[in-house]
Amino acid sequence: MSDTDYPEETYAGRVLDADLHLFDRQVLDVDGEPAFAVDDIEISDVPIGLPLDPAAPAPVIESLLSGPVLATRTFGGRPPSSRLERIPWRHVSDIGTALTLGIHSDELDATWTERWVRDRIIGRIPGGRHDPE
Amino acid sequence: MILSDLIHKKVLDAEGTVVGNLVDVRFVIDGAPGQLLASARLHGIIVSRGTASTFLGYERNSANSPFILAKFLEWRHRGSFLVRWRDIAMIDDAVHLRASFQRLSPNLPQNRS
Repeated sequence: MSDTDYPEETYAGRVLDADLHLFDRQVLDVDGEPAFAVDDIEISDVPIGLPLDPAAPAPVIESLLSGPVLATRTFGGRPPSSRLERIPWRHVSDIGTALTLGIHSDELDATWTERWVRDRIIGRIPGGRHDPE
Repeated sequence: MILSDLIHKKVLDAEGTVVGNLVDVRFVIDGAPGQLLASARLHGIIVSRGTASTFLGYERNSANSPFILAKFLEWRHRGSFLVRWRDIAMIDDAVHLRASFQRLSPNLPQNRS
């Protein structure tokens, strides 16, 4: 806990700290199947370099982002915004140790590479279209 | 705006003095009702005076073990504070706070710790 006696804040809803509760969390689809991990978060637009209106509504989370972040985590920076897949916040149904979505992972653009590998490569290997016996 | 562009920025007061580093962003799920969850509204930013990094939020919750690690991180993040979104005047290469900004406890509600 902080060792300074700052006033405690009160909250009207569930509190989430982005780095603590959201970044790198596993995301499960409605069936509990792993879909992707949260690599970043997109919030509604904030004017950069312009005075902020204190009476304006605060930004909200628009999307969870997933994408190729291994190299940028190692060497710094972040992938271009266009390389990140966006999963709208409205699909999130629960937040715990993992985040849960209310839709199937097949409906997400973020999992297209897995589906492509499954259908075009694994599926063409003899025995690749059914569970191991 | 992508959140990682905001995290780790320097935080300056109205006179331009560095008051710390932005180490996390706090959301509260109390916005407009959605299909499944309500909107997650940006409530404020967590500012650490000592370091630009954080580790497992030890300075924000009641976790106190392993004792040595908890004490070290508590010391490293001493003086961390929360600033409400409305107290932010401008964001560019740094986060600029209003002259009237208030330092609040960064502690998480106990039921979330």
